[in-house]
Amino acid sequence: MDGLFHPEVLTHEANVVRQRIVRTIFCLMCGAALGVSGALMQSVTRNPIADPSILGVNTGASLFVVCGIAFFNISSANEYIWLAIAGAILTSIFVFGIGSMGSGGATPLKLVLAGAATSAILSSLVVAVMIPRSNVMDQFRFWQVGSVGSGNWDSIATFVPFLIIGLLIAVFTGPGLNALALGDEVAKGLGVRTGTIRLVAALGAVLLCGAATALAGPIGFIGLLATHVIRLLIGPDLRYIIPMSALTGAIILTVSDVLGRLLGSPGELEVGIVTAFVGAPILILITMKAKMRAL
Amino acid sequence: MKPTHTFQAESITAGYDKKTILHDISIAIPSNKISIIIGANGCGKSTLLKTMARLIKPTSGQISLDGKPIHKIPPKHLARVLGLLPQSPIVPEGITVADLVGRGRFPHHTFMKGWSKKDYEAVAEAMDIMNITEFADRNIDELSGGQRQRVWIAMALAQQTDILFLDEPTTYLDITYQVEILDMLTDLNRKYGTTIVMVLHDINLSARYADHIFALNKGKLVAEGTPSEVITSSLIKDIFNLNCKVIEDPVSDSPSVVPIGRHHNKSISISENPVIV
Ligand SMILES: Nc1ncnc2c1ncn2[C@@H]1O[C@H](COP(=O)(O)OP(=O)(O)OP(=O)(O)O)[C@@H](O)[C@H]1O
Ligand SMILES: [Mg+2]
Repeated sequence: MDGLFHPEVLTHEANVVRQRIVRTIFCLMCGAALGVSGALMQSVTRNPIADPSILGVNTGASLFVVCGIAFFNISSANEYIWLAIAGAILTSIFVFGIGSMGSGGATPLKLVLAGAATSAILSSLVVAVMIPRSNVMDQFRFWQVGSVGSGNWDSIATFVPFLIIGLLIAVFTGPGLNALALGDEVAKGLGVRTGTIRLVAALGAVLLCGAATALAGPIGFIGLLATHVIRLLIGPDLRYIIPMSALTGAIILTVSDVLGRLLGSPGELEVGIVTAFVGAPILILITMKAKMRAL
Repeated sequence: MKPTHTFQAESITAGYDKKTILHDISIAIPSNKISIIIGANGCGKSTLLKTMARLIKPTSGQISLDGKPIHKIPPKHLARVLGLLPQSPIVPEGITVADLVGRGRFPHHTFMKGWSKKDYEAVAEAMDIMNITEFADRNIDELSGGQRQRVWIAMALAQQTDILFLDEPTTYLDITYQVEILDMLTDLNRKYGTTIVMVLHDINLSARYADHIFALNKGKLVAEGTPSEVITSSLIKDIFNLNCKVIEDPVSDSPSVVPIGRHHNKSISISENPVIV
């Protein structure tokens, strides 16, 4: 433990401990960002299954990053983030556009389908960009599945401002989103500027998920898992759901990472794979739940 | 007592996308009174209510509150004076009665200020008026239709506005609950002077509970006034395409409509009442 506070001590154990601490902090931050991002997306779309991964938003973010690495030699965390956010914004516009076509608007089922289709196309594009470039394959590899192992103090420092802005947006839009949950008409009657609040909250969601994806790759289902656990426990008030889903998201991701290391030892199972294993069955359960009631 | 307001719509035309629903309607809402909008399905009652509550922007004409165009009033400020309960609000899954009623406090909150004592009092009072205090911690899904409707009205009451717009607050309710809700709204109007404007389907209950009636037909205002001025058999024939006899309500001073169909008529000859195709 001594090694922690004395960087000059370069024993193997000290390095491992230091590395673990960075990794845990990074995990907690990504998990919080993804949890809150999911809560915001669900409110904006009034749709219980909205989540960055299900809607294909973080696949879009990774495609942009992968293209950046492949074609523009981008390698700093800072540049990753902006690319990922651009990708996340474009993908969410695209998916909601497709999902709200036809009668009935953006129903949960249509959004899942639009998200799944978009996600499939985008992931194959990611692979198409990667395959011919075996020399940078290693740099790419973690984008495919999501991994927190590569986190370092630099990426944490880059992440912090995005996390703070995203969380502030979530906290300030909370009361308005609470009103929006009663329907657009009730919300307008209560004096909510529904268009503005949707836009701002969606921006917060995309910032959070884009930044997390830029640094850790596309980690799925955290938003969905975190918010549904919380909703069951404390009900639908966003003023509590937002901080609690940050907490739950952080815990779920960190536990998943530990699980991945235990299950995968002596190597490790990327955390994105673990969350998909846990998240997919839960998504199926929620989707099947009585009549797919909208939020 | 709530203050007096002048709320007016001047020759408004409004609708959805390119479809015009309301044609050149001018009305002034009687302050501190109960007004009821009547008309056939699809004639534009909800559209009128939504336009007056600035949910729909009229394509021409102007709506003003105390002389000020409503779209120039900041939404939250307007929401402290004018409340709206639309025809089909959404119930978030797992929400409790107190939480839902509390959401009516939104316009009274500012960016920084959290819940104050005043908010809790307003919620408690609204639940008390609608007689739902005992359900405060219950899940809305567990309530009956009548109880649920009272919760929604309490949400609108917690907003503490001087003017309240209600779109069919009694639909899907048994007659007992319809009367109960209308009695509660009348109490509210008598006790606090809240101006109430609502859409109702039951013509006889409208005639009994309204101080003022607005009759709509195909997006036009065809009559307005006290129930006894407005409710005539020719008006009912016009707007509902229904033959009827208007009698004096045996239990109140209001008129009462007795519909005439093609069957079960004892002394009225068929020739007087042509078959409706
Ligand atoms: N969101 C909408 N988009 C397009 N047209 C609409 C919309 N809402 C209502 N309409 C149309 O506008 C017309 C008037 O509708 P409105 O809801 O105002 O009628 P209403 O008098 O309230 O009827 P009801 O008694 O059935 O509630 C109808 O023809 C309806 O089809
Ligand atoms: Mg209507």
